Amino acid sequence: MELLKPLQDATVEIFATMLTMDIVPGEPLAAMEQLQTSVTGMVGLAGTHQGVLAIHMPAEVARTVTGQFLGMEVEEINDDVLDAIGELANMLGGGVKAILSEKGRDISLSLPSTICGAGYRFQCMDDVEMILAPFAIAGGQRFFVELQLKNAV
Amino acid sequence: MGKNVLIVDDSSTMRKIVTRCLRQAGLDFENIFEAGDGQEALQTLQKETVHLVLSDINMPNMDGLSFLRAKKEIEAIKNIPVVMISTETGDDIIGEAKALGARGSIKKPFTPDAVNETLKPLL
Repeated sequence: MELLKPLQDATVEIFATMLTMDIVPGEPLAAMEQLQTSVTGMVGLAGTHQGVLAIHMPAEVARTVTGQFLGMEVEEINDDVLDAIGELANMLGGGVKAILSEKGRDISLSLPSTICGAGYRFQCMDDVEMILAPFAIAGGQRFFVELQLKNAV
Repeated sequence: MGKNVLIVDDSSTMRKIVTRCLRQAGLDFENIFEAGDGQEALQTLQKETVHLVLSDINMPNMDGLSFLRAKKEIEAIKNIPVVMISTETGDDIIGEAKALGARGSIKKPFTPDAVNETLKPLL
């Protein structure tokens, strides 16, 4: 769990800097329940560390975050929302890479991808360290940052 | 005559954020062009008058490093300054970008102050 605090700090910094949104980290969870009407952005990590970084947002939170990103009201889950949540995952992946890699060449990040749906489960790897960090936005709604990682060296 | 900038990023959201950030940083451009990858950026540079390029590194089709490599082989555009805006912060990757001609780098997430500080000397 030594990555929990840096992951929380990176998430708080991204939201404060790029979205001017204050978010509050919560206690880490053991497992993600089935996601309901949500958007998930993710990037893969390969190299000395392998895994995936994902950000899971209920649709309403995803719309709020995208609206804040773009400076406009977002009424539905559209391409802008998918792109924005993918870019959030990309920035968080970059934050995780910066924590794990000083030089940059020993870990590669994939391009971000995004999924959304009425009900789905997120599972990518066995035998990994897993961090599931909840965050609350104003109004108390939550989203989740999940890191599944194993050392490949 | 005002200056023109080209923003290269596969994320349309990020291109909008960079555009807004340039305004917040007090950097006034006459035209802001956009490209979704390095290939599109090369086409735009050969078609339009551009004074500064802001480019992501990790992109599909042609990434930021390949873009720099290709750009420096084209006489007409090789001297247009490029600043990388990326989540990549490792010395190896940023060092390679600078060796390929990048004039600076800005780490995502970024503030208008950081953008201003890096870009002002290039304009």
